[in-house]
Formats: sequence, C-alpha cells, structure tokens
Amino acid sequence: MNLAQQIVNGLVLGSGYACIALGWTILLGVARLVNFAHGQLYMLGAFATWYAMVKLGLPYPLAILAAIVALAVLGALMQGAMMGLVMTQNLTSLMIVTLGLGYVLQGGSALIFGGNPQTLPGTLSRAKVDLGSLWFTWQDVLVLAATLALYAAVWLFTQKTRFGSVIRAVAEDPKLAELFGINAKVVYLLVFVFECSAVALGAALVAPRSPILTSMGFNEVIMTFVVVVLGGIGSIGGALMAGLGLGLFIAFFGAFVAQAYTTAAAFGVLLALLVVRPAGLSAK
Amino acid sequence: MTLIEPQSPSRAPWLQIAVVVVLIAVGFFLPRLLGGTSIAYSTLTTIAIFAVMCYGVDIVLSYLGEVSLGHTLFWAVGGYAAANLSVKYGMNGWSTAAATIALCIVAAGFLGAVTLRTREFVFSLVTYAAAVVAYEIAFNWDAIGGSDGIVGISALKLPFGFATYVGGTQEELWPVAFALLLLTLAFIARFRRSRLGTTALMVQMNPPLAASLGVDPRKVRLAVFVISAPITGLAGWLYAYQRAYVGPDMFETYFLVMMLTAVVVVGRRVLVGPLIGTAILIAQQNLLSLGGDWNKIILGSVLALVLIFWPAGLIGLLRRFGKARA
Amino acid sequence: MKKSIKLTVALLLGLSGPVMAQEIKVGTIFPLSGGAGPDGQSVTNAVKLAIEQVNEKGGLLGRKITLVSKDDESTPAVGVSRANEMIAEKVDLVIEGWNSPVTLAMQPILARAGILDITAVSKSDLILSGETNPLAIRINSSNGFDAGIIAKYVVETLKAKKVAFLTQNDVYGNGFQTAVEAEFKKLNFAGEVMMTEKFAFKDTDFRVQLTNLKAANPDAIIVTNASNSSGLPAMVEQYRQADLKSAFVGAVGIMLPTVFKVAGDANNGIVSADIYFWNLPPFNAIPESQSFVAAFKKAYGVEPDKSAALGAAALQVWARAVEATKSLDRKTVAEAIRGKTIKGTVFGDAQFLPNGQLQPRYVIFKVVEGKTAKLEALP
Repeated sequence: MNLAQQIVNGLVLGSGYACIALGWTILLGVARLVNFAHGQLYMLGAFATWYAMVKLGLPYPLAILAAIVALAVLGALMQGAMMGLVMTQNLTSLMIVTLGLGYVLQGGSALIFGGNPQTLPGTLSRAKVDLGSLWFTWQDVLVLAATLALYAAVWLFTQKTRFGSVIRAVAEDPKLAELFGINAKVVYLLVFVFECSAVALGAALVAPRSPILTSMGFNEVIMTFVVVVLGGIGSIGGALMAGLGLGLFIAFFGAFVAQAYTTAAAFGVLLALLVVRPAGLSAK
Repeated sequence: MTLIEPQSPSRAPWLQIAVVVVLIAVGFFLPRLLGGTSIAYSTLTTIAIFAVMCYGVDIVLSYLGEVSLGHTLFWAVGGYAAANLSVKYGMNGWSTAAATIALCIVAAGFLGAVTLRTREFVFSLVTYAAAVVAYEIAFNWDAIGGSDGIVGISALKLPFGFATYVGGTQEELWPVAFALLLLTLAFIARFRRSRLGTTALMVQMNPPLAASLGVDPRKVRLAVFVISAPITGLAGWLYAYQRAYVGPDMFETYFLVMMLTAVVVVGRRVLVGPLIGTAILIAQQNLLSLGGDWNKIILGSVLALVLIFWPAGLIGLLRRFGKARA
Repeated sequence: MKKSIKLTVALLLGLSGPVMAQEIKVGTIFPLSGGAGPDGQSVTNAVKLAIEQVNEKGGLLGRKITLVSKDDESTPAVGVSRANEMIAEKVDLVIEGWNSPVTLAMQPILARAGILDITAVSKSDLILSGETNPLAIRINSSNGFDAGIIAKYVVETLKAKKVAFLTQNDVYGNGFQTAVEAEFKKLNFAGEVMMTEKFAFKDTDFRVQLTNLKAANPDAIIVTNASNSSGLPAMVEQYRQADLKSAFVGAVGIMLPTVFKVAGDANNGIVSADIYFWNLPPFNAIPESQSFVAAFKKAYGVEPDKSAALGAAALQVWARAVEATKSLDRKTVAEAIRGKTIKGTVFGDAQFLPNGQLQPRYVIFKVVEGKTAKLEALP
C-alpha cells in the first residue's frame, strides 16, 4: 500500500509542478524570456486569491478568477515596461529586469500584506478522500483535473487555431513573422499575460496546501526550472510529462532513498541530462 | 552593442601614469580620509571584496555575452577552501589562496565543459543548477561545515620570509583587500587587450569572421569561463578571513543579485563599472537602509529602471550626454 | 528671524550634547522582514518593553536606556553589516539572534569590537563553543538539555516501544535527534528507533514522509520542525489528514503561537515542551513575569510567547548584572552572568552555566484545544 500511496503522492506533487511550469515554458519558448519574477508572481497569485476570499468575501471559484485577472493586468503593465527590451531582443537585460521587478513585487507585497502567514479557507484542501487505504484531498483532484484541462486547452489553441499558429510563427522567427504582417509586440504581450495568468491559476490551486507568506516564491517555483528544461523549452507536452515525471521521481526518491536530498537529486539529474543532451528531452 | 573601441593614441603617457598613481594612493588612504573609524575600514574592505567577486561575473558577461548564475559556486569554493584548510590544517594565506585558485579552475573547467554547447538562458539555467547542487552538497556534508558552517577562522597569515603579515582586524585586512582589487583591475585591463580577450569579443560579435580566422569558439568560451572563476574565488577566500565564518549562506541569492546588479548597472566592459556598482549597493544598504522590504523595492526599481531606459547601463547615459555636448 | 532660530537650535544641540552622552544604548539585531519578520519583531518589541520597564524605575545606573533596532533580514551578510553599524553607534550591548548562521557571523565582529553580545533565540551549539565569542551568553535552551525532557517523556511516560523521527535536515534537527538518541541510551530504552524521515526547512509538503511513517506505524513520532510560520502548521494538518495514529511528540520550543493560529485544532493531542508559558506554573507565579505579561498585553494586545520572554530576559539579565557590578565593561558584565545566578527576570532566578547557557526550566504539555492554544501541563 505504501507504493500505491506514493504513486498518488507523486501525481499530486507532479500535477502541481506541471501547472506552475506551463506559463514559464511557453514564455521561454516563444519570447525566449527568463522570467525571474515567476516566484513572486506565484506568491502574489496566492495572496490575490486570499485577499479575494478573506477580505472581499468572494467564494473560491470567483477568487481564482479574480487572481487571474489581477495578475493578467499586472503582467500587461510589466510587459509594457519591458517592451523596448523585448523588441530589441536584449535577453540578458530582460532577465535582470524581471529579477528587479520580482524584488519590487516582493518588497511591495510584504508592505501591503504583511509578514504573517495566512491560510486560504473555503478551498477543498481539507476535504479528504479515502479510497481504501489511500488518501488525498479533493483539492489534489482539482489540481490534477485543472492541469490536464489547461494543458489540453493550450495545446489545442496553439496547434489548431489561427492565433496559435501566429504564436508559433513568432516563436520560430520573429523577424520573418513581422514580414508577414504579424504584430510581434501583441504576441509578446499576450504570452506574458498568459504566463502571469497561468501562474495565478497555479497558485490559487496549489498554494492552499500550506500557509502562504509574502516571503515565499522562490522555493515554490525552483522546480519549475527543472520541469521546463527537462521537458524541452517551449514544449507543452514535454512540460506535462516532465512535471508529472518529476513529481513521481521525487515521491519515489523520497520514499525509498532520502526525502531531504530530493532537490539535489532533481538538479543532479537535470545537470546530467544537460551534459548529454543540451536541448532537453523534447529536442526539436 | 558597443564596438570594440579603437585604441586612442595616448596623449601623454606620463600624465596617465601619474593620474593612476594618485588614484591608487587616494584609494589606499580612503578609509583614513573618511575618518579612520572601524566602520570605514570594514565598509571599504567589504566593497573591495564584493567588487572582486563581481568581476568574475563581469568577465563572463562582457566577453562571452552570457549571464552566469553559478559564480556563487566559485565564491563559496574560495570561502570553504580558506575556512577548511586554515582551521583544520593550519595552512597559511598563500596556501589557501593557491588551493582556491586550483579548485576554482577545476570546477570551472568541468562546468565550462558541460555548458560548452549551451547558449543564453540555457547557459544561465545550467550554471544556476550547478550552484544549487553545490549548495545542497555544502549544506549536507558535515565534514566541510554542514548547515551551520565553519566558525573560528583565525586571522589571515601571509608569510613573507622575514616577517608574516597578519590580517586579523578590519584595518589589517584593508591593504590585502585593496591589493586584491588592484590586482583584479590590472588583470582585467590587461585581459581586455590580450589575445584571448579580443578573440572572445570577436567571437561574440562576429562569429563568421572569427570562424574564418580559424578561431575555435568553444576553446575561447572555456578559457574565458575558467579564467573568470578564480577571481570570484579569491574574493570568497578573503571574505572567509574577514568574516571569520563561512557557511552555506555563501550560496544565497544575496550575493548573486549583488553580482548581477553591480555588473549590469554601470555597463559592460567599463573597467571600474562593477566597482562603482558594488560601492553604490553597499552604500545604500549600510547608509540608506529603509528596512528590508523598502530596500528590496529600491534595489529592484533601480535595477529595472536603469535597464529599461538605458539597457547598456548608466554608462550609456553618460555617453549620450557626452555626445549631446560634442 | 533666521538668526535667532539658528541660535536656538545651536543652544538646544549644545544642551542635548551632554544629555545624550548620558544615555545607555542597547542594540537589537533580529529579522524584521522576510519569513521570520513577525517573530523577530515580537522579540524586539519585548526588549523594547523591558527597557521601558527599567527606565520607568529610574533607568540603569541613573541613566536612561535607548534602543537601536536593526533588521538582519535572516541573511548573515546583512547581519554583519548591521553589527558593524552597531559598533559605529557605540552601543553598550547587542541582543541578537533568531537564525543561527546570522548569529555565528555576527559574533566575531562584535567580540572583536569589545561589545557585549547576548544571543536570545539561536540554538546552535557553536554559539557557545567559545570560538566565535569567548564571552558568549545565550538565553534559549540548547539541544542537549532539550533532548532530556523529550526522551524522558517518550520512554517513561508514554512507554513507547517503537519510535520514529521526523527531523529537519540541518545541524539543529540532526543535532536534536542525536541528542535524543543519546538520552535513550542513558535511560536504557528497551524499544527501537524504527526509522528516520527527513525534510528541508523550507518544505511544505510532507506526504511522502508521512506515508512512510504511516506504513511503519510507530507508537510515537518525534518531530523536529522549526518552520513555525509555514512548514510546521502544514505538517500538523497533513499529519491529521494522513490519519497517523502515532503520538505526535514535538521537539522543545517548536509549538509557537503561529502554529496554533494556523493549524488550529489539528494540533489537539500534540505533546511538546517549552521553557516559558505566561499562564502556566511556575511562570504564572513569578512577579516579574506577571508584570511583564500585563505590560506586554497592554502595549501589544497579546500575551508574550516564549520568544518574547527570551528577549525580555536577555535585557533583564544584563541590566541586573550591570547594576550589580556598576559597570558597562563587556568582560566585567559577562563574567557577572556566566556561571552565576541572576535574580528578578521573567524566568525568575536565571541560572547560567559557565559557558553562558541559561539553564532552562521545562514545562511539558499536551494541546487541549489548538484554536485557543489551550494547554494542559503534564507532570
């Protein structure tokens, strides 16, 4: 029974990783932008959800929506500020600008929301499910379902719709796409807004597992690095596989080896893989 | 993107040398000029050490055009080498410094080889992953310090045959820090004009030209990366003696962010850029601290605003002024 | 008009000159921002209040005490900067330490400058090893002592046959576990230590470890988790969700107010121990504690917790020693504390070991109602 429960644990952890990583991998794949503010955006998504539920009294589903909208707006503002650098493809400066913005978000959130831990009541994280001797919560089910739905939706969008192919064109070759009349600026803006919205959704679903703090963020998303690179940058299917796979790896490694060293192991595996295949698992 | 600036014919070389000598003298006596208090010495020593730390990252950014997020690894190697070797084996400063350089070269050789085929953000992510793994190792390996680190690092001893220079207090460490800073600046000035330096710039800016000249870009990449490591490593080495304590906190983002900010804020390939950047950061933290949260907002805003408006750094702003006046 | 203003200001400055020199400066360096910000703030508030209480009674050596409070942001490099600033401000005492690495980094700096340094909360054994500061003083208990009471409860009261550990993977957690296992040997523990599960301080998801522990089903699990703001409350809730039947025995001092506030009634049944409770014996009978509790409640709206008591005690211990020796000299005051007993603190009589460690008095408790932090003291 231990094994079965650990598989469940792995899927729960993995769906969380995959959910949080989706926006990041798309942003990286399309705009080649490393968003260092990802962790702080995750934290803000969690606090936006909390604020909506506790201070504004909204029910959980509406609060999720509110968080998504709030972060989408924030993302639009951030991208607007960075647009000059994005268009000149000054990637190193962009990376550091997001780092700076992340710091501003962290300091600002600490001042606005304070340093005390908060909990998100009214979610499903305390609604337990007992399946024989296995246990998980309805929140875990929600995260898995939402992650799969989100990935399916995004995949369908990018593969089957017109706008999706526009995004793929800009990802391949922005200058060529511009020659074809595509406004790369709008694409970059939308992709960045999507990243912020996606991480807000991820935060609203995953963060209720534990108390939220304005100082959090970095550790929560550190696994995003691994997921994105392992899955192949920009690869949607890859990120899903890598996310779930990483979750299972962490569950098994932790169960049968040593939980305390899982971060080291995950990054070690990442390094080893990159030595062999610099482009990640889903290399084009 | 700045071009390689043509060497302007030196007008009066003796004047340039005299200016440099005066600057060095003023720099050396700066703590005394600022009051000779212990905080003057400790702040300037810290600035010097952190500036040297930043120069390692600066070389990689300026000459390879890449952002290394793994230089905290070399910083920590220097600190841990100094701490472990001096506390456990009583080795003197020269030996620990030599060990630092050797270990950094080995580590950088390995990491450089691994990242040979990676570019841009993948390079950054891989260097970052290496730092994370190194952190986990340092945190869990009790033999080299474990999670609490190594305490009681004794004073720096630099034997000179007839006498030994002891660096125990901030006043005594300042000359060593200043010397290290000068050495670094001299090295970088030299590197800029060296064959490797100019080749690296050419590879960065005009790869086809470099290829046609028979340059192997991978060798150049590796060489530059390996050279950058001991610089940051020696800064970590001296930091261990200054703080008398080394721990896994050497890997913290505090140092990483300082490296990135100092290097990027003033501009690339500006010799004193990282030094000025470091001085500004430390000055703000010590003299104008508004509390942890506001400091983050200020630091983040400065970083974001400077780069948004002047992607080439503050030096770009200065050059624009210069051009406007001309 | 302007000239007279300038004159007035100069006069006032001249007058304030000698008055300022009369004041005794006490510095505090704790995290005031970041994850441990609220905790550090609470300790700083306690020191502030303790200073006010001394000033109300006429000050120290006839002089008023002023507080200089700084934020170390839980980062050793920042702590070192703050320590240097304290030296520049010429403080007579620094009370510091929530995170051990920050304390370890600051100690040599303060020691070199000859400033007395009292560590309030940081638990590392290296703090008192003498290498960083030969005149170190620490108020919070050490792992070595803590292990004794927990081991005794598990072996003698609980009479557990099968024990497991859920330990934070760092020197603090591993050190506590090692100390408990050593105490087991001393008590001739007849049972077995079945397994050890570890986790990182920053972790908030413990399903994997809890699953393993549940499968092993020990009588008691000794939990060492210092992340009172996020990890520990999450762990308590997940422990209940996983429906573990094993007794949850918490290491000394981990059940801080935030754990009760966040995990509420999931805490019910947890047994742990600590070195101060405002409302439990023997502390509720100590006059200094009672007056401090009343003043703290009045000033900050809540009763002081263990961490606040540590801050207050640090100040009170120093103040009494200064009064007794009529000196502010670091060596003199330190030697009046180390190895001696100081009366009149929130802990009552504060007995110090020669290495500077305050001897703790433990109260072992069971959580009756987590939401209100209602505890029942066990014998």
